[in-house]
Amino acid sequence: MIRLSSVTKTYNSGKPNQFTAVDNISTEIKAKGMTVFKGPSGSGKTTLLSLIGCMIRPSSGRISLHGIPTTFSPGSGTNDAFDVTSLPETFLTEIRRTTFGFIFQQFNLIRGISVLENILLPTYPTGENHASSRKRGVELLEMFDMGRHAASKVDVLSGGEMQRVAITRALINNPLIIVADEPTAHLDSRLSLDFMKIAAELKAAGKTILIASHDPLVYDSEIADTVIEMRDGRIIGSGQGS
Amino acid sequence: MIQHTAIIPLIASSAISCLMFLFAGWKSFLIIRRWDIRSGSELQLQLERATYLISTIIGFVLFFQIISLFLYIATVDHLHNLLAGAMCAAGSLNANGFGYPVLILKTVTCLFGGVWLVINHVDARGYDYPLIRPKYVLLLALAPLVSAETVLQFLYFSNLDAQVITSCCGSLFNAGTGTLASGLAGLPRVPMEVALTAAIGVICLIGLRFRITVKGGYLFAVASTLAFVVAIASMISFVSLYVYELPTHHCPFCILHKEYSYVGYPLYAALLGGGISGISVGTLMPASNIPSLAKVLPGILHKLTTITILLYLAFGLAVTLLVLHSALKF
Repeated sequence: MIRLSSVTKTYNSGKPNQFTAVDNISTEIKAKGMTVFKGPSGSGKTTLLSLIGCMIRPSSGRISLHGIPTTFSPGSGTNDAFDVTSLPETFLTEIRRTTFGFIFQQFNLIRGISVLENILLPTYPTGENHASSRKRGVELLEMFDMGRHAASKVDVLSGGEMQRVAITRALINNPLIIVADEPTAHLDSRLSLDFMKIAAELKAAGKTILIASHDPLVYDSEIADTVIEMRDGRIIGSGQGS
Repeated sequence: MIQHTAIIPLIASSAISCLMFLFAGWKSFLIIRRWDIRSGSELQLQLERATYLISTIIGFVLFFQIISLFLYIATVDHLHNLLAGAMCAAGSLNANGFGYPVLILKTVTCLFGGVWLVINHVDARGYDYPLIRPKYVLLLALAPLVSAETVLQFLYFSNLDAQVITSCCGSLFNAGTGTLASGLAGLPRVPMEVALTAAIGVICLIGLRFRITVKGGYLFAVASTLAFVVAIASMISFVSLYVYELPTHHCPFCILHKEYSYVGYPLYAALLGGGISGISVGTLMPASNIPSLAKVLPGILHKLTTITILLYLAFGLAVTLLVLHSALKF
């Protein structure tokens, strides 16, 4: 479970161009389900996902993760709650690497290197044995029907293929939480439906999936367990998915 | 004021260090007063971010402080050529009333600055800022010392006068003149040799006991501090005699000269390192019960104990070799 308590994120605090992207949000996100944040551009969805994913820190408030195993907790129990907002950067890095998998709107794949090399990038800082991570990377590619493209440069892939590579990369460290920011923004309806099928499979595999989207195909999907509606940095509504 | 290549960087870098320390001191004051890890307030989150900045700044400043002790000694040693009567750093430091106080302050800030760096290293290994308050209390305590050192160092260098005749080390460290230096020089050789051997032996025994049983950490820190004092006194009392191969020359600074292969630098560095790591063991003992450090602290204490033992043993071995290879025989 992810708990947010009075979370606020203000940019340029105290300056004339001060902007509050997330305004005093308190909510709880269930584990092993899909939560979709919907709302227009500028409503604070991406900022909120970045806060939950420990990419940025809030200006005030706390975010805690529950049931996340770590190497540094006393006893490494999975019932421990961690306040990620106060974690020193060293520990936050571990959480970011091992707990979260990120899928970005622009995919953020590195051109000029192969699909498999892109997928293996998140494994390098973990110090994992290269052979085992490589084996897992190939298995994941096979799972997403991308095995034949393992040695191809990402430059030659279609949009849908790029996204599957991005999803595979997000899964390579076997994270518990998948964070996807506007994952269908650059996809046509068929590819968007393909993405939602993959998301359903990940949910069935016990992953917690957080998606920010203003695509009805995503937030109206029956796969979504909870839909949280945002506007001007606040939650204006929340309900069960279709 | 004597213009010298190393004086200006020393004064400038000390002034910058002092300013950084004052900034960090102010932030430390806020952290000590307002820190509340359970709060999600904007101030608390700002303080959490500020602690990274302060730790980084002070880490660099204290690292410079340690280097600057040796740079200061090397500089004043080099200045003896310009001061009438001075034969080494001892005479240069005695050229006015600020030289020795600066040396003492630098040594103290080096020792406790080193301890602060160790505490900071340990604090960064805990996920909940376990040593935040003691770390910043020590930093606040160091701030006036660093400030005083900066001012006194400036006064020392700015009041150096090449026309004033200063004393040479031979008269400063001459037994029977009634000063602390002469008192140290006058310490009997054989009892001091026994004391140094015993001090290093005790450090090893207590350290090994601590490594095996994890008991006696405070005792180890006290023994380490006493060994540091005994070793410094031994340098003046008898080690110097064997190095210079002269039965009456007790100067602790001439040993830093080229003709003695700069052997003083590694000896003093070993003592400083041993002192810092030994004191750190005692300082970290109260943290043994902190849950977030339960996994990492025992390993760190073991390493510090080993480092202390090895550095004092290295010092003892170096002194033994110097004594054995000296042409001076009693």
